Amino acid sequence: MRGVPALRADVLVIGGGATGAGVAWDAALRGFDVVLVERGDLAEGTSGRFHGLLHSGGRYVVKDPVAAEECVVENAILRYVIPDCIEDTGGLFVSTPDDDLAYADRFLEGCRKTQLPAEEISVAEALRREPRLNPGIRRAFTVPDASIDAWKTVWSFARGAAGHGARILTYHRVTDLHRSGDSVTGARVRNELTGEDLDIEARFVLNASGAWAAQILHMAGIEDVGVVPGKGIMIAMNHRLVNTVINRCTMPADGDILVPVRTVSVIGTTDIHSADPDEIPVTQAEVDQMLDDGERLVPGFRDARALRVWAGVRPLFQDARADEVKDTRDVSRTHAVVDHRERDGVDGLLTMSGGKLTTLRLMAQDLVDAMCSQIGEQRPCRTREERPPGNEDGEPYSLGSRLRRRESTLQDEQLICECELIGRNRLEEAMRRRGTTNLDDIRRSLRLGMGPCQGGFCIYRATGILHSVDRLDGAEAAASLRGFLQERWKGVWPILYGDQLRQARLDDWIFQGLLDVGHLPGDAKVPDDDQRARGEQVAGGEAHADPAQVPEGGRQADAAAAEVNP
Amino acid sequence: MATRAGDVLGTLLMRESLDHCVKCTICETFCPVSNVTPLFPGPKYTGPQAERFRIGDEPSPDASLDYCSGCGICTQVCPQGVHIAEINTQARAALKATNGVPLRDRLLARPTLAGRLGTPAAPVVNWSLRNRMLRLAVEKAIGIHHRAPMPRFAGRTFQRWARQHTTPAAERRVAFFHGCGTNYYEPRLGEMTVALLEHNGIAVDVPKQDCCGLPLQSNGLFDDARSYVHRLAERLAPFARSGVDIVGTSTSCTLMLKREAIEILELGDDRALRDVSERVFDVCEYLLALHERGELKTDFQPLPETVTYHAPCQQQGHGIGKPAIALMALIPGLTVIESDATCCGVAGTYGLKREKYDIAMKVGAGLFRQVAENESDLAVCDSETCRWQIEHATGVKTVHPVEMLFRASGLT
Amino acid sequence: MSHHDVIVVGTGLAGLTAAVRIAESGARVLVVAKGIGATHLSAGTIDVLGYSPERVERPGDALATLLAERPGHPYAHVGVEGVGAALDWFGARVADGPLAPYAYAGGLEENLLLPTAVGVPRPSALVPVTMAGGDLRDGTPVCVVGFRALKDFHPALLADGLERSGVGVTARAVELDLVPEARADVNSLGFARAFDDPAFRGQVVAQVAARGLGADERVAFPAVLGIADPHGAWAALEHGLGRRVFEVPTLPPSVPGMRLFATLREALHRAGGDVLLNNVVVGAERDGARLRALRVRVGLREQRRGAEWVVLATGGFASGGLELDSRWAARETALGLPLTGVPAAGEERFRPGYFDAHPIARAGVAVDHELRPLDAGGERVFENVLVAGATLAGAEPWKEGSGDGLSLATGHRAAELVLAASSTTTAAPAAAAGG
Repeated sequence: MRGVPALRADVLVIGGGATGAGVAWDAALRGFDVVLVERGDLAEGTSGRFHGLLHSGGRYVVKDPVAAEECVVENAILRYVIPDCIEDTGGLFVSTPDDDLAYADRFLEGCRKTQLPAEEISVAEALRREPRLNPGIRRAFTVPDASIDAWKTVWSFARGAAGHGARILTYHRVTDLHRSGDSVTGARVRNELTGEDLDIEARFVLNASGAWAAQILHMAGIEDVGVVPGKGIMIAMNHRLVNTVINRCTMPADGDILVPVRTVSVIGTTDIHSADPDEIPVTQAEVDQMLDDGERLVPGFRDARALRVWAGVRPLFQDARADEVKDTRDVSRTHAVVDHRERDGVDGLLTMSGGKLTTLRLMAQDLVDAMCSQIGEQRPCRTREERPPGNEDGEPYSLGSRLRRRESTLQDEQLICECELIGRNRLEEAMRRRGTTNLDDIRRSLRLGMGPCQGGFCIYRATGILHSVDRLDGAEAAASLRGFLQERWKGVWPILYGDQLRQARLDDWIFQGLLDVGHLPGDAKVPDDDQRARGEQVAGGEAHADPAQVPEGGRQADAAAAEVNP
Repeated sequence: MATRAGDVLGTLLMRESLDHCVKCTICETFCPVSNVTPLFPGPKYTGPQAERFRIGDEPSPDASLDYCSGCGICTQVCPQGVHIAEINTQARAALKATNGVPLRDRLLARPTLAGRLGTPAAPVVNWSLRNRMLRLAVEKAIGIHHRAPMPRFAGRTFQRWARQHTTPAAERRVAFFHGCGTNYYEPRLGEMTVALLEHNGIAVDVPKQDCCGLPLQSNGLFDDARSYVHRLAERLAPFARSGVDIVGTSTSCTLMLKREAIEILELGDDRALRDVSERVFDVCEYLLALHERGELKTDFQPLPETVTYHAPCQQQGHGIGKPAIALMALIPGLTVIESDATCCGVAGTYGLKREKYDIAMKVGAGLFRQVAENESDLAVCDSETCRWQIEHATGVKTVHPVEMLFRASGLT
Repeated sequence: MSHHDVIVVGTGLAGLTAAVRIAESGARVLVVAKGIGATHLSAGTIDVLGYSPERVERPGDALATLLAERPGHPYAHVGVEGVGAALDWFGARVADGPLAPYAYAGGLEENLLLPTAVGVPRPSALVPVTMAGGDLRDGTPVCVVGFRALKDFHPALLADGLERSGVGVTARAVELDLVPEARADVNSLGFARAFDDPAFRGQVVAQVAARGLGADERVAFPAVLGIADPHGAWAALEHGLGRRVFEVPTLPPSVPGMRLFATLREALHRAGGDVLLNNVVVGAERDGARLRALRVRVGLREQRRGAEWVVLATGGFASGGLELDSRWAARETALGLPLTGVPAAGEERFRPGYFDAHPIARAGVAVDHELRPLDAGGERVFENVLVAGATLAGAEPWKEGSGDGLSLATGHRAAELVLAASSTTTAAPAAAAGG
């Protein structure tokens, strides 16, 4: 009987989101031999689906001062270590006519106590800075909010870890955790591309699977950990209605944040307990709610063009012994290391639960510290100072960077995705280096087809180019085209009104009319998850992306299962 | 589209209209500049697309946007109502605010300044402007192309003539907004216009007036443009408010008052400008409306000539069709060949600039060819800068439609 | 206020067809529109009926069946004969037009089967002669020629798709490096201008020939074979290559669509009609069921334009003729005509699968057999307003392969109805010479 091949490592990190990547980076920097496994592509889970806010902490100063303090500190650290992933938009807390003015005073007081540098400005000044803000606001405060590109962040840390010898294995799904007595000794994973199994033996397993933590722990026989998946939807509006993060100055509520992220502005979010982190439908009621909430911050919001809607799921931690809570917002947003030795008598395993992207570095530090403590090896954390790849020049992201870059190639290079200013060289490079035939992966990394035209023009072009550089044969090209159309549709049909409907109709004319893709030969059923099987795995020290170039794009908007129930 | 947030005037409306863009490429097929030069990436790129990468009043990083001529054809043809040209003009102002406005642009943007300086010394100035060596020196020094079509100073101003002219009493009145071109370079056109209107029983007031600020706006000097247009509006507003129509012979300047200043310079709150905007008419628009009411004298003498008519881009921007064609159709014996070319290229001050002159000549090449092939006696065009460009390129005398009507009315 | 015999709203195929047809009978027509219409975006072919739901071979027959099965379909207001008349009229316009001898070929008898830019065989009834050589029913092998500088056309993708399409045609691809305008990015229009130039054509012929062509191979190009003289360009290529040449429509801007527009625009001009752009219809003044004038927004002003007849051809959701707002209320944006086919509040408008049948797909203005808009009670909203094109309810043109056919047929029918009704009125047309 052929044995299953095995890898050895010091640390096995489960989960390729912000937490996992941060943990891999931290542990690798400390000299551990790390393997990271992720069932899909990096940042496909929660990290790729959040609203893009790098918290100043202002949101929590009243309700959850501990969380606020963490944000204050980590915000500053991240601006230092990953500046390229961050745009310094600044933030505003505003008291809308619906908000209790007394809260504003508590807010200010809370900022003072947590040392959050908030400043009150006049309403006139706030409106001068942000002409589309609700003119009825009554107070306004500036805070150091920023917008962060989660995808790029995750990639930076993963690449950094790989640069220190870590092995980043995407499309490797954990199917079982190995236990030897009271110790976890590793895991079995399935390579989703080849279907082959692989065993990973590790001294320690760090469960950084976020909202999916319970599913992983179940494989080790550990139950009732109290991860409460909290679903939230977000809508990306076609352009920047504001250039500053806008927060409602009130106790945290739904739809009270509007974040400018790259070329779009994202309104979010709702908060609904979901039993299964993979079942997170977008409901019509939520969409309506977000539009109303947007209207409260920016009058005329409902007339603006909505680009995409998607749902993400937060990993909230709650002690399993407490009553089940319906509003997950009341659950603390700080993170916690779940010590399974204490709780369950199981060695060699720790779980990170809760947390937010803003504190990813701290979460990683706490988790790796806890591991070091358990194995009795004190190795110092270096992530406060070290910059992962792609951030060397210390320049924060600026909105106009792609436009500026394009100026120098105006005459020489074809523009493939016009909305997002992606040139042909960039595209071909990404195709070559990622070595993938999966248009989806490329789409994510470059934001191809994520602009207003939703791929109406660029997807045909990209498919043609992919086909001609021999990355796709005819059947795959056809499947890829149809797959893209379905993938895009998922994120669009719940918000298909106004200008976006006009666009969709034009795109229908192009795809169904002019190109007649509806009658492409092949399976009428559109493949979606099958697409993943064509991505590439990474083994050895090679990172998934090109060592010489961090992919610049971000992916804030991609619907998972999106079912709308009217 | 009629009653939404789209009735909020100012920058917000222009920029927010980018949401309507569905990337259809129709604007690109019509853009006269991007079709002849790769230096301008095209209206779709520079307008709604790049605007998503711009922040408020920060400078746009794309210097290539300066190659937009501001002709406005893109806005006219856009099926979705994106205010493309207006977005471009605003972006250009932000660009210039940071990069600075060259001396040349500052000079070109102030025709009244040039006018006041040049008029007293007209013969010398005119000679200089036609002296090749001097022009080469000027090009080297400040960047006005040595072959750029410069008008001749008349040596007198239309305002002066108007002060000395008494308009006969009549039931109807108009206020004449003649513009800088008529004042300093073509006062005869102003005289003809007054005569034609009076001939049709209309008394003509010529208020004291200055530049409408359009060249300042096109060159990105928004603050100055605002003060000029506001000042002009204050002078014209009393007429508008007392029910007197304001009629203009410079079709680009009347468009500025009708809508461009309000849309691009965010002057929706300027009461005087709003009042003026509602009562401004291009002169051919006004005359045709008279005719439709049966109030225009149409006992025209025959003019057995062949002319080529070119509707300037900004005239098309009024959205009123081509009233000049309908008017000239009333003149017996006159053969009017309508050019189907889009743009003559000069676009106000654009084609005068060293780096844009060649582009402008390429843009207008189709029109120039038509004028030549038609064997026209004259070319007819409603905008003064376009007339100078056409004459320069073809050698064919180019006149305002009013001149044709003036002559056909037997006036001298 | 200006006054016109007929005002047509919209510059797409439906609007221009109606306008030209009416104008050439002597009536004064004014066309008002927000901008240029969808001619520049379509393939430039007149597709009558492509799928019903299977691929249609004989559109005339399939049309008859469709009308029997779906009396609410917009074609029902035209009839098979009416569609035929519209096609004939259109063919004659092109044949007499400024691009002659450029012409269209085909008719209601049989659909040609033309390859799309991804190699799918697409049925089409009436196509430019420059495309007709691509009919896949004859099985001749195809050599697809593309240009690296033209990112909107990928010959290898087409060839591959064609071979897999099951029509039994072999295909291969050739990519040329010829760049017409010294830039890396040249769109279809740029190439079309180049193909108007004999020197450029000569280079193309030389380079294609140098790659070697099979004895019975025909050659496919992207649809960029000339804008000023497409027939000349195409004929020169056929002559130079010594074999059949055809062009394949691809992403907008559509050169064949622009030719179509130029033809109708010129015909309208010759017949004395006018087009006003940046004129947005925002309402009407009425006298009971009689529309007296349109309220039109021009820049910042609202003007009134009087008319005896109005043809509304504003183009459906794609061009804003129909609008769905964020509260899921739908409306017809020019005159506020009642709509049909819009799901009630709280019901699904779209379904989760992209290729699903979406409940709102056939929404539009309901009309009677004389194209007059109807209210919910079946009464005419206006006596003197006719609706044509994509604003009409009852069809999903991009799925059925009927887009341009519907526009042409209903635009033509609207014109015929207006002319018939006008000739029976005793009042003289309005005396004022409209703008």
